[in-house]
Amino acid sequence: MATIIFKEIQKDVSLSDYTLDSLLLLKELREQHFQTKTEICIERAKYVTEYMKESEDKHEPMELRRAKAIQHYLANRNILFHDNNLIAASTTSKLIGAPLYPETIGLTIWPELYTISTRKAKPQILTREEADELNFNIFPYWLDRTILEVTRKEQNPSSLNLMEKIAFFLAGKSTVISHTTPYFEPVLNQGLNTLINKAKEHEEALKKQDIDRETEGKIIFYQAMQIAMQGILEYSRRLSEKLAELAKNESSPEKKQNFQIMSEICARVPANPATTYREAINSLWTCEVAILAENVNMAMNPGRLDQVLYPFFKHDVENKMLTLEEALTLTGCLWFKVADNTNPVPETSEKLFGGAGSVPAVTLGGVDKAGKDAVNDLTYIMLKITELLSIKDPNVNARYHYKVNDKKYRDRVCEVIINTRAIPALYNDVSNIATLENQGVATEHARDYAVIGCVELGSAGREFSSSSSILFNLSAVMDLTLFNGKRPFITGDQQIGPETGNPEDFQSFNEFWEAFKTQLRWLAQQAIDLNEAFAITHQKLYPTPLLSCFFDGPMEKGKDLIFGGARYNSSGATHLAFSDVCDSLNAIEYAVFKEKKLTMKEMIEAVRTDFAEHNGELLSYLKNTVPKFGTEDPIAVRNSKNLVKLLYDFYQEHTNYRGGKYRPAFWSMTNHAGIGKISGALPSGRRAYEVFSSGITPASQRTPELTPAFIAVAELDSKYIPGGVALNMKYTPEAGSEERKTYLKKFGDMIEGYFKHGGMQVQFNIQTYETLIDARNHPDNYPELIVRVSGYSAYFKDLSDAMQDELIRRTQYNLLTGKAVRLPESYNGGE
Amino acid sequence: MKFISNVMNFFPNIFRKIVLKRLVKKIANRIQNNFLDDFLELLLKMVRLVSCVDKDFRRNIEGFNARYAFKSEDGKIAASAIFKNNKMQVLTDEIKDTNITVIFKDGQALWKFLFSGDPDIFEFILQNKLRYTGNLNYILKFGYMATHLRLKFGL
Repeated sequence: MATIIFKEIQKDVSLSDYTLDSLLLLKELREQHFQTKTEICIERAKYVTEYMKESEDKHEPMELRRAKAIQHYLANRNILFHDNNLIAASTTSKLIGAPLYPETIGLTIWPELYTISTRKAKPQILTREEADELNFNIFPYWLDRTILEVTRKEQNPSSLNLMEKIAFFLAGKSTVISHTTPYFEPVLNQGLNTLINKAKEHEEALKKQDIDRETEGKIIFYQAMQIAMQGILEYSRRLSEKLAELAKNESSPEKKQNFQIMSEICARVPANPATTYREAINSLWTCEVAILAENVNMAMNPGRLDQVLYPFFKHDVENKMLTLEEALTLTGCLWFKVADNTNPVPETSEKLFGGAGSVPAVTLGGVDKAGKDAVNDLTYIMLKITELLSIKDPNVNARYHYKVNDKKYRDRVCEVIINTRAIPALYNDVSNIATLENQGVATEHARDYAVIGCVELGSAGREFSSSSSILFNLSAVMDLTLFNGKRPFITGDQQIGPETGNPEDFQSFNEFWEAFKTQLRWLAQQAIDLNEAFAITHQKLYPTPLLSCFFDGPMEKGKDLIFGGARYNSSGATHLAFSDVCDSLNAIEYAVFKEKKLTMKEMIEAVRTDFAEHNGELLSYLKNTVPKFGTEDPIAVRNSKNLVKLLYDFYQEHTNYRGGKYRPAFWSMTNHAGIGKISGALPSGRRAYEVFSSGITPASQRTPELTPAFIAVAELDSKYIPGGVALNMKYTPEAGSEERKTYLKKFGDMIEGYFKHGGMQVQFNIQTYETLIDARNHPDNYPELIVRVSGYSAYFKDLSDAMQDELIRRTQYNLLTGKAVRLPESYNGGE
Repeated sequence: MKFISNVMNFFPNIFRKIVLKRLVKKIANRIQNNFLDDFLELLLKMVRLVSCVDKDFRRNIEGFNARYAFKSEDGKIAASAIFKNNKMQVLTDEIKDTNITVIFKDGQALWKFLFSGDPDIFEFILQNKLRYTGNLNYILKFGYMATHLRLKFGL
């Protein structure tokens, strides 16, 4: 049973008495959040570049150079306070800032330096002076030093050409590794001074040994760790000094006192162990900011905050040092801090893939390391804050163990989803823990998993997951199979994949499936090869001594995360167009070989011409008669399971550069919309330029019943999907207060049933087609409309046209009847 | 080409500006009439001239050593630029050993890429209007210079 200390929470887990009107600071910060325009912050790029230039000829090991470069930034960056948040550190010097990482993809905004502030798609503010600084002083240094270009120059892998065509696969390491959850317990419990001393002790001990190359590497690594952590202390010291100065000059007694407290806190933590909830929050966030100084702000997750922060919270409450209102306010302040950063994005990326932020995932609830109910007061406080603020970041995820957690907790999570219309996402502890155990993760560590970025799973602080290493377009495999190794729609007559035979000559579906398997293995191998090539560049040029301080493993092993220092290692490969490809396999098996509705030649021609000659009858047949993933049809069930197993077997055969396995996943962020909009037709009846289905979700408007759709996904066997899934469901909102109780019960029961069948994850949009269409047509009327995309939350107005279209088209189910609601016939996708 | 460059160096800025003005007019005329065969060469010359008369713009080529080649898929259009010793040389054919070679579908595609106000290489790659061999970052820098010219001359 959950441990609840506060009587108010025992009485009412919804904390109904608390609203934004009773939490005025949060109300103020929320208004400011929605009024603030994103700015690009060049400070990180400036100081890191400055140090790298200065140290160019010093012949220092890169581990030390990187540590010193980050230290240089942390020691010199501006210390500004834009609002009344109770937490001191900030990711950038802007209220909501997009930090630049020129060593990865920062340079992609180069052509737009003078126009990015005024462009149509989601402008990001950049002053002329900042643009000139980037153009003349920062970007030129990186011309030949980005991950992508160093890899091209030094290794020139053939698979790079394929990636640069964009529509086959993307290898995430050209832009970012991140995608992991650091380990904050040591810094909270021991403080950085202790950790620095530990690294020093390791260094000194090694120096007494015979120093071979390996030992020398370890000594350098321990030195780099110390430098990196000293950088954090320097930043914290400067925060404290600045706050003391502000306190001195502040006339408002309330603000003066707050500045003084914040100054004192920054003087104590993270250098020393945290002793209070407020100190723990500040310590954790200061370290997270420092981690983002070194690592791209993409899916660098705060993790299980209701567990990590709980001992400090409990201490304060038991000693009557913290009221519920204060706990809510501090937690809300943390939520705004986590949301203080985003990414700089080139205009086309914004148009195609827009709306994604930095996706920092917070994970709540579930079980603890011993398998007991981990839900506590903080779980409910964090749910309340998520409900009250309803902001896109942090990406809040709720774990649920149907054998251990209370139904009261489950229903509260459902209530928050219904009230926010979107968040949090729900995760099945039973399936997910077993899935991680199957990957060799010890049971107690598997139980302590946190969600990474969108939906990926990783043991918090122990697993360097790199879960977004590969984004693989399954529809490319379908094309290559249909056209004997070519993709006419994308690359014309060029032979891309192996020649697996003209499908017109195939006598059975099995022959087609074998050709498909060959093409898939070949293309996935290209993606893996490229990931490994980028990894070599990362190891050579961009080690991560600072992030390594916040993991279980590197301190003990004397090894950077990038070289396999973490206790567990893995690389994630996620897949686009899963349902579209399953349905295409179904179409070929059913329509061509079983029912002989058309010949393979006719199918290929229909796909090639985007069904130009077959607009009516064939399309209708493919869409409405052919078996679909998300139904109980045995062909559909078999093909979906075979595809999942094929991917699992292939990836698990491969070990990455850190000694971990590749893990297949099915989540898509906004890529299924963006890549769909540039892809050709498929045998499923999906026409060219239509968006793909999201994550592992059955194709939109193809599955008329809710329960079979859930079951089809649940029965795919989570063991074979260790990277995680995003299942997106859209429900009609409840009709009124009278229906609410029934609706809430059905909502919870449906999730419970899905989880008992083995489902891993599910997320919801509680919206009608009509509301979303209206929001698309009148964005100004819906400035705060929040939606789940395919693994994260976004403001609907910020999404690309393609993504908005996809969200509108997603099948809307009436939860109470279990039937799909028809998409309005008048909707034409805004075209 | 070198002779012209040397002669240009003797002109005071006022004459360069006059030449530049004519060049801009000529380019605008090419664009208006959809006649883009020598647009690329004119553009590169314009870059060179602007770098002579505009102190700010000149900073873009100071210390910048790079070799660019541009050509159309059908080979009808080709031009190259060499940045070396704070100077820029324009050639009317494709050079080898480049930092980047940009191959565009046709003159219209290159024009749109450089001057549409939306100089995003990824869109053009996605639309199969442009491909490249070499270091992508160099085209990003060139894209920046093109935007600078577009904004400055209202192209």
